[in-house]
Amino acid sequence: MERRWAQLLLASIGLAGLVWLLTPAHARAKGSDARAAHQAKAAPTAKPAEAAKKSGAATEATTAPEVAGEKPLSTRVVAYQIAASLDPSKHTISATETLTYHNLTGQPQQTFPFHLYLNAFQPQSSWMTEVHLNGTRGQQPGEAWNPKHYGSIQVTDFSVDGAGDLTDKMQFIHPDDNNALDRTVFQVTLPKPVAPGDSVVFRMTFNDVMPEVVERTGYKRDFYMVGQWFPKVGVWWKGAWNCHQFHATTEFFSDFGTYDVKLTVPQDEIVGAGADLVATSENPGGTKTLEYKSADVHDFSWTASPHFTDVEDTWTGSAGVVKIHLLMSPGHMKSVPRYLKALKGALEKFDEWVGPYPYDRITVVDPPHGGLDAGGMEYPTLITAGTSWDMPKGMLIPELVVVHEFGHQYWYGMVATNEFEEAWMDEGINSYSEVKIMDSLYGKSSFFNFPFFQLSEDQEQRMAYLADPDADPITRLGWKFINDQSYGGITYGKTATVLLTLEKMLGEETMRKVMHEYFLRYRFTHPTGEDFLKTIQDVSGQNLRWFFDQAFYGTNIVDFRIDDAHSDLVDWWDEGKPGQKVQHPLYRTYVTVRREGDFIAPVDVVVRFDDGKTVTEHWDGKDRWIRYTYVGKSQVAAAAVDPQHVLWLDRDFFNNSYVVAPDTRATHKLENIWVFATEWLSQLTSWLT
Amino acid sequence: MALARPKTFLTGAGLVWRRQRVLWLIYVVTLLLAFLSTRGIVSRTAAVLDHSAEAEARLVHGFDLGAILELQEIPNSPLAGSNQIFTAPTVLSLIFWIFVTGGLLTVYYWDEALAFGTFFEACGEHFWRFLRLTIYFLIVMIPVGALAGVASALHARIDDKSVSPLTAVYFGVAAGVVILLLAMVARLWFDMAQVIAVAEEERAMHRALRRAAGLLARNFGSLFWLYFRISVVGTAVFSLALYFWMMIMRPEAIFKAAVLGQLMILWWIATRLWQHASEAKWYSEFRGMQSSRVPAPGQPLVSVPVDSPAVPA
Repeated sequence: MERRWAQLLLASIGLAGLVWLLTPAHARAKGSDARAAHQAKAAPTAKPAEAAKKSGAATEATTAPEVAGEKPLSTRVVAYQIAASLDPSKHTISATETLTYHNLTGQPQQTFPFHLYLNAFQPQSSWMTEVHLNGTRGQQPGEAWNPKHYGSIQVTDFSVDGAGDLTDKMQFIHPDDNNALDRTVFQVTLPKPVAPGDSVVFRMTFNDVMPEVVERTGYKRDFYMVGQWFPKVGVWWKGAWNCHQFHATTEFFSDFGTYDVKLTVPQDEIVGAGADLVATSENPGGTKTLEYKSADVHDFSWTASPHFTDVEDTWTGSAGVVKIHLLMSPGHMKSVPRYLKALKGALEKFDEWVGPYPYDRITVVDPPHGGLDAGGMEYPTLITAGTSWDMPKGMLIPELVVVHEFGHQYWYGMVATNEFEEAWMDEGINSYSEVKIMDSLYGKSSFFNFPFFQLSEDQEQRMAYLADPDADPITRLGWKFINDQSYGGITYGKTATVLLTLEKMLGEETMRKVMHEYFLRYRFTHPTGEDFLKTIQDVSGQNLRWFFDQAFYGTNIVDFRIDDAHSDLVDWWDEGKPGQKVQHPLYRTYVTVRREGDFIAPVDVVVRFDDGKTVTEHWDGKDRWIRYTYVGKSQVAAAAVDPQHVLWLDRDFFNNSYVVAPDTRATHKLENIWVFATEWLSQLTSWLT
Repeated sequence: MALARPKTFLTGAGLVWRRQRVLWLIYVVTLLLAFLSTRGIVSRTAAVLDHSAEAEARLVHGFDLGAILELQEIPNSPLAGSNQIFTAPTVLSLIFWIFVTGGLLTVYYWDEALAFGTFFEACGEHFWRFLRLTIYFLIVMIPVGALAGVASALHARIDDKSVSPLTAVYFGVAAGVVILLLAMVARLWFDMAQVIAVAEEERAMHRALRRAAGLLARNFGSLFWLYFRISVVGTAVFSLALYFWMMIMRPEAIFKAAVLGQLMILWWIATRLWQHASEAKWYSEFRGMQSSRVPAPGQPLVSVPVDSPAVPA
């Protein structure tokens, strides 16, 4: 999920026409180990992006092979069969669900918990209480909730094959906060346990009331983004059920499996889903039913709007052809080349750096104006993006969102970490990947790139972290952060900044190997944070516990500064004869470095003298300060601690260096702007008088 | 007999040029206020940046927004309270403009250089009158503001309901143009009231406003076209200069940027003075034309109120 969406609202000027030539990506022969794990795919028939078409059938043609019969990529714990019908006039979905759960827990299971995420959008929920306290996108703390954003899910029938109707046995639980009124998790205890290795079939009937789009789900006018919309069983993890309530700052966690979903919608709807469309039928009464199948994923989401324009394209990677669908909202077609470049670039870089993308599809949903709360979200093989009709080309928000959300296909989709408990493992690791890919695709100014000002992605992540750097450790449970800002800044920004620091410490190539190895080890599983840290140590061959303890588990601040750098005459006391200049003076130079923060790390200190000579010192950083003294004929010109910014976590880069001769240009530049702005604002008053 | 339209667009500009001391006075006061109000933040920032190698790398050869954000986040941020640098100069500038308008209109209307003492005497003479006018102007702007509020609510509603994002944009642009034109008309009305107050030594501002309203109503095309052209030219030149500064000028050209910025401010002030000068000139010529009207043979000589005949637009 992308939490920096407010920036989209900054879009204000017309987008100059730009055209990217869309060339089909070349197939690359690599990743044979991964390729073996995937089905052979037919050679691609690349379609140019210009083949955009706008019809209800646009997404109905599929190139995917039948899911059944493939060699599974994951341990398929669940099999969902859902038949759902959308009523756009009421914004409701009525559905039946059959869930087959394979008990691979290694022990008998009698009690099963289920998520009902949509009930978070009820006034008494824990999610709503937390939002009321801290706010969320478009909602200030303490602000009254607009009733149009209420949503709910109600299970009206619940039965189990062999056990009959258990609707009366459904019991809402609230494992995280004892909020008895929260209805986002229920559990059912079966009359008898399910033996290890056996399966149990749950049958449910449920009704969704969709909210006007909030927290990435709901409707806006006739647009629907339907996510987290069906009862979903919890995950047996670390020897216990893991099924947390839905919180304002948390996301999701679920098991891999198969999905067979039939959606009945009005015939004019253009539908996209995170699955392959395998059948379509038209019904009396102006509706149609679309059947979708997917496997080795842990969620199913879909979208519908009669106003989508479906832009199709393909990309070929080491695992075969990937069919791309961009479902574009009205007024946003200018962003198509930007989306495609970002998406194909992300596919390419992940394929090259991390591992193959094994699915044959990816759908990007472009939410309509006013529906941006549906934007910036990830689901398996379906992501939501975000743009505006006037998005300036120097504002790389659409690109950033696509790269970020596509990255979740790896860090959440395939490496399916627990987003409730270890949010940094999907959002933070993914933010690091986002930085690397954005920099690679768009250069260093990959966030804002205007002639007058620039902002790089790595700086943006660092700034997000520095907004509140020490309230919470990275590893805190997702709903336990002090507030939404700290959650966002630490989970996304600090994790990315920590990983950038590690990259500078270990080397870019080593870090790339780390990410590749981590993916290969843990794809289609539920790894923990320690699994990731262990991978870093394994690949780098270094004991980095000292770093992990401070950076991941602690709230330590990095801040090194040059406290003093000056030179004195050694014989400062010798006044000499009046009028006689000392011929070859000797100077004693002092350079004092301080560790202002509580993060202990080794650093380099570089001292430059006025004759051009430099001296590099290495300080273990353990003490609070260190002073270097030099005696020579030259005076100090400048000193810098960690001049390469290896410690990207450093809170203040400005105090990392001291140049003896002042350079006032930067100050004057800012002064110009401040004086100009003050004059101009004050002169606006001349139109009042 | 129709009166000729006063040709004041260029003569107004010429008047500003000839009577430059007014322009320079306002500019110097503006610069001084801005300079003084920014001393604190500049010295605090200098303490952080002037000896840091980071400053050159990130702010001289480009403008890294991250550097500004970092300056905001560091402990004892030099940018703390930076928004307050605008408050005092803006308030003082408002008062100064109320004060100086009487003097500058006297200079422009009579087209003569005044001694400093005379100039400030004229300023002081009209200060309280123009303060009242400013209050009236703010009252008049209330319905315009309310209209802007209604337009904003309608814009939000259209944006919410419309499938295309552009429907609301078009509405917003149209509504914005209408509101801007209304604001310009209101400003022009009050500008003419100020001219009448100076030219006719009118002490009652409600009477000046009534006379200005009649004058504007009968000569709307001529006066508004004059005001509108100057506004467009002024804004266009300012925008072009801003574009040049932001998009074309090298980031290292700090001194040139400073000069350009001050020229832009000078131009911005000159634009407003151009409006005042043109309006004063228009009224002066208008009065001159009226007084030169000769009755047709056989017709009795009558005196004509200065604001009664219409000047065809």
